[in-house]
Amino acid sequence: MNPSPRVVKQAIHWMLRVRENGASPQLQAQCEQWRSASHEHELAWQRVHSLQQEMNLRAVPGAGVVALQTLENSQQRLHRRQALKLLGGVVMLGSAAWVSKDIGLLDPWTSDFATATGERRSVRLPDGSLLNLNTHTAADLAFDSRQRLVRLKHGELMLTCAEHPLGPAGRPLLVQSRDALLEGFDGRFVVRQERDCTRVTVSQGKVAIHHPGPAGLQWVAAGEAFLVNAQGATPVAQQNMDPGAWADGLIVTRNMRLGDFIDEVARYRHGYLSCSDDIANLRLSGVFRLEDTDKLLHLLPQTLPVHVSYRTRWWVRLERQA
Amino acid sequence: MSSHDSVHRLYQQHHSWLNTWLRCRLGNAADAADLAQDTFVRLLQRREQLELNAPRAFLRTIARGLVIDHWRREELQRAYLEALAQLPEAEVPSAETRELLLELLERIACLLDGLRPKVRTAFLLAQCEGLSHKQIAEQMGISLRSVERYVADALYHCYLLRYEP
Repeated sequence: MNPSPRVVKQAIHWMLRVRENGASPQLQAQCEQWRSASHEHELAWQRVHSLQQEMNLRAVPGAGVVALQTLENSQQRLHRRQALKLLGGVVMLGSAAWVSKDIGLLDPWTSDFATATGERRSVRLPDGSLLNLNTHTAADLAFDSRQRLVRLKHGELMLTCAEHPLGPAGRPLLVQSRDALLEGFDGRFVVRQERDCTRVTVSQGKVAIHHPGPAGLQWVAAGEAFLVNAQGATPVAQQNMDPGAWADGLIVTRNMRLGDFIDEVARYRHGYLSCSDDIANLRLSGVFRLEDTDKLLHLLPQTLPVHVSYRTRWWVRLERQA
Repeated sequence: MSSHDSVHRLYQQHHSWLNTWLRCRLGNAADAADLAQDTFVRLLQRREQLELNAPRAFLRTIARGLVIDHWRREELQRAYLEALAQLPEAEVPSAETRELLLELLERIACLLDGLRPKVRTAFLLAQCEGLSHKQIAEQMGISLRSVERYVADALYHCYLLRYEP
């Protein structure tokens, strides 16, 4: 037998009063009295109380602001979509157009060169050098009489220096990232803007890292990699991944941690991709094509004890195979 | 005629129509196929005899609800990712916590469905941020009495959805 609407509303009233006024003993006693007056009261109270518990966002650490923002923003958009598609039914956009983890949505319009998530591009520069942009990357070009400068705003680029730069005393070929100013001389190198540093990997030729600190200049030779931040440039072991393979549309791994691999693949996808902790340390070697990352993920269960679980097309999680 | 038989007949006669209808709304074939399937599964779970005078209107009603659920989930995920992207790295929760929170948000979003915006906001400020009614009144620029009424209304609304659907 369900409690009557009147009793449910009273229960809500009591619960809110207790919540608002803290543990006033007098109020607690009155509330107890109301609850024990009838079975119906007590049932309504229990239900309201457990509903309150079920919806208690403060029980999840760090939920507060994020939860509010998420619920409010998603609700607004949901209304818009409903109005557009269910009521009007006129506007038809591929759903891939809107799901985006990119906050810098304006970059494609304000940068000289930009790629969207999952997109790659190559550009022949005026001096003959080849610029490759990886997924979700934006760069500006500043070529003038003194220098040939590529500004990496975010993302990752590969620069293949022109065979014959304009004379030895010609204009330097520079790449500027948030953390570093790099000078390329010949050959090919990859610059990747990470969250708190810049990764430089040289595959042919050599690169100079110009640093304002006391260290001054740091040379990077073919086969070496450096991380650069405000403190300076630190050599790092090569990753378990071919740093420039993306320019050919591939991820090439040697004994790479699955967790790192998944983070890498996530860069090429919209939405959310993760793997559970108990499989993150599995190792993976192979050559994977980037053009269809869904297909790529479906290959993994063939070699590893994992299972790909789709909650929606934009929320994918790898778990240990049951 | 058993309810299973009638679902079977509905399926044969209207499945491809429903698929097309859903594809128009969702803009992609894979999700449309999933939701068409879900629509018929919903029907099989119903115990009462099906009302078959206007089968397509009937299917459309169920499918529309599923489309909205689907969009709600997509929009929540998208808004959640955006909110996370604004957090400093140290405050980004673990993968497990993210899953947990997203599930909770989905449940709450379903329960809040249909509330007026002000009622919803007042309720969420209390529920998410733990603000007192007085603080909410100040933040929203409305009277304390209105806040009290809104929060109580919202809880009652959720109660009905949860216990007396």
